[in-house]
Amino acid sequence: MQMTAGRRVLIGCGARRWRRPRRVSVRAARCAGPGPLRSHRTAPPPHRHRHRHRTATMTVTRLDQGQRYRPRMAFLKKIEALMMEMQSPDTGIKTQTQTVTTTSIPHAVTGNDIMQWILQRLQVTAEEALHLGDLFVKYGYIYPLQEPKNLTLKADGSLYRFQTPYFWPVQSWAADDTDYAIYLAKKNIKRKGILEEYEKEHYNMLNQKINYKWDFVIMQAKEQYKAGKERKKEDRYALDCQERAYWLVNRTPPGMLDVLEYGLDRVTDPNENKLFVSCVCGVLPASQTPLEDNTTFLPCELPSSHCKNTMEFYRREIMYYQQAILKTRVKSSVSLGGVVKYSEQFLSNDPILSGCLPSNPWISDDPEFWDLNAKLVEVPTRMRVERWAFNFSELIRDPKGRQNFQIFLKKEFSGENLGFWEACEDLKYGDQSKVKEKAEEIYKLFLAPGARRWINIDGKTMGITVKGLEHPHRYVLDAAQTHIYMLMKKDSYGRYLKSPIYKEMLAKAVVPQEGVKKSTGLFGRRHLRSSPSPIILRQQEEEAKAREAANTVDITQVMSKLDRRNQLQKEAPPK
Amino acid sequence: MVKEECKALLDALNKVTACYRHMVLTIGGTSDSQNLREELKKTRQKAQELAVANRNKLTTVLKDKTVSKEDKAEFERLWVIFSTCLEILEIDMRRALELGHEFPLNVPKKHLIQTGMSGGTSGVAARAMSVQNMKYEAEHNIDVVDLKDLENEINQVGEMMYEMEMKVNVPQWTVEAKQDPGAELKSTISVGASSIGMISVEENKSFCDISKVLAGIIFTAVLIIAIVLAVCVVKLS
Repeated sequence: MQMTAGRRVLIGCGARRWRRPRRVSVRAARCAGPGPLRSHRTAPPPHRHRHRHRTATMTVTRLDQGQRYRPRMAFLKKIEALMMEMQSPDTGIKTQTQTVTTTSIPHAVTGNDIMQWILQRLQVTAEEALHLGDLFVKYGYIYPLQEPKNLTLKADGSLYRFQTPYFWPVQSWAADDTDYAIYLAKKNIKRKGILEEYEKEHYNMLNQKINYKWDFVIMQAKEQYKAGKERKKEDRYALDCQERAYWLVNRTPPGMLDVLEYGLDRVTDPNENKLFVSCVCGVLPASQTPLEDNTTFLPCELPSSHCKNTMEFYRREIMYYQQAILKTRVKSSVSLGGVVKYSEQFLSNDPILSGCLPSNPWISDDPEFWDLNAKLVEVPTRMRVERWAFNFSELIRDPKGRQNFQIFLKKEFSGENLGFWEACEDLKYGDQSKVKEKAEEIYKLFLAPGARRWINIDGKTMGITVKGLEHPHRYVLDAAQTHIYMLMKKDSYGRYLKSPIYKEMLAKAVVPQEGVKKSTGLFGRRHLRSSPSPIILRQQEEEAKAREAANTVDITQVMSKLDRRNQLQKEAPPK
Repeated sequence: MVKEECKALLDALNKVTACYRHMVLTIGGTSDSQNLREELKKTRQKAQELAVANRNKLTTVLKDKTVSKEDKAEFERLWVIFSTCLEILEIDMRRALELGHEFPLNVPKKHLIQTGMSGGTSGVAARAMSVQNMKYEAEHNIDVVDLKDLENEINQVGEMMYEMEMKVNVPQWTVEAKQDPGAELKSTISVGASSIGMISVEENKSFCDISKVLAGIIFTAVLIIAIVLAVCVVKLS
């Protein structure tokens, strides 16, 4: 329901779409209307009008974002071309006359004729031709005569007629609220107050919404009605049918499909050139995040006279385009191959596609599946353990897998890696107010020279990390975390899968049986038990972690203890 | 009086806009012809003259500081009606331009859409121009020639509307409509038809009143009888 088009228009450039220059929409102070009559109406209706502040006066420019010009409506022009071809006396469709009570109105077409014409002209299958013809009717290019509300094409003798070009769905003009109000008022006059339910609702709603235009609506409706009387009776009838068909398409009654629906109105113009640059004049705020790749800047909405296209502007434009060129692109064949491989591998694990054992809880109301697959269950299911072997990310993602992997790493004396990785995850996704403390703790525990659980990363990464820790933020340990992750993946993971720990877990894993439907009580009462509260679960996890941390003995600790003992021994004898 | 003059001018503009809309509806259909294009041209020129006259009158009144508050409110209401009318006119003119480009009349390959209209629009045009019969004097290729003029006129109307908004400071949404919803039913447009509707409504109302009065009378009568009987019983026993 857009308001009427803007003022400026580029006529004669051959463009079908009327491009409007972007209008400023800076909210100025509201005008305090004079007089007591206006006191309750000083606020303009929201999101339809914007003010543009000019020296002393206020203007109302209708902000038309051109949302109707979605690219997917480009087919309308093609339909129009076909419509025109249908009219040809030699190659077009043959018309008949429709008899209505006492008069006869020419130019009626049967549905079958339309379908045959499309079949022949476009050389498509019958099904496609029917569907295409149906679309013509749905979009309002052809309207049915015998069942006006049923906008479908029937391939039999039911009659249709072509819609006048003024009422064709055209992107440049959306069906206006004012016009609809005038139509409803006219219908009111003609039918003496008998409107459909939804039309009555619309009428009342419009009366409230565009109340200031209401006098005009009534005047215009009366005048249009009177002017219509100057035409022949048959023409008047045809005009009525046309208008009704138009409004059936543009203001669909409830229950009918709205074919002209284009989704939500967005704030940006979908057809505007997509180069956004930060507003260098500083009136609009620049983007908040630091200048990373693919940052979208804000458009400078003020007219170009205000914001000069400075060197800065062009420099940023060049930078944007250079980065766009350097973006890595993957061939679609490669990415599709990856998708296919993933789907094949995980097909058996997908509970919806392959069913799940013991039973799908949503269907059978039996939560055993969730119990068996709880986060840190004692004995995991076989499917789950097998999944750990697919790739490293699956293992890392599963808490039970991590636990198992940690046991293995401890045996190999590289348990601090996983510990460090988990600490980094906690830093990234945990409580952000504690970032500084957490970062410092991690440094003390893992990174500082001589730390209790010192991790082995190369000098360059260590340098970057330590430097970053001066101003800690969420992602300060990213480089180190990635390094450790790759280390675990390339090195420990392979050995883990061959290790006895994993094999033992695999052997222990349980395969749940197909669920038996539990018998319900006399009145169908089921035994409901609630799972423990997430708060309690989290507390338990934290305690477990703390215990873990206290008990961890890493190689460096052991080595340092051994060193100290040696030193003591060395010192002791001389004493 | 100034108010009546303004109203009359506005009514005239309204009438011409409605007729113009009717005529634009038929462009591209089977009742399209050179005559129609000529009618369109004449109608919109008349509409423009009326628009200019309206604007001048209303702007002088609105700029006048000596007008009373009620009058000012009334003139602002008329102003809003005028600007809405002009918007509708502009849209129709633009659509006429686009349709005129799409449906030139003398090209043999381009056929008109068979919309079921067979009659002409001369009656509508005569109504718009307030003459008895329309005279057609234009050349046979007016449909193409006229489009340039139409473009210029659209620009002119656009400029006029822009100026209007700049000069006159009337926020549209502060105007309240005088007519209630359903006001069009109460007018005497179609002779007899709507008045029948009105009469039946009134009759209904009077019937309701009579039935209510009767009910009241009966109720009070019963009440009185009941009281009398009670008193008799008390007295006799």
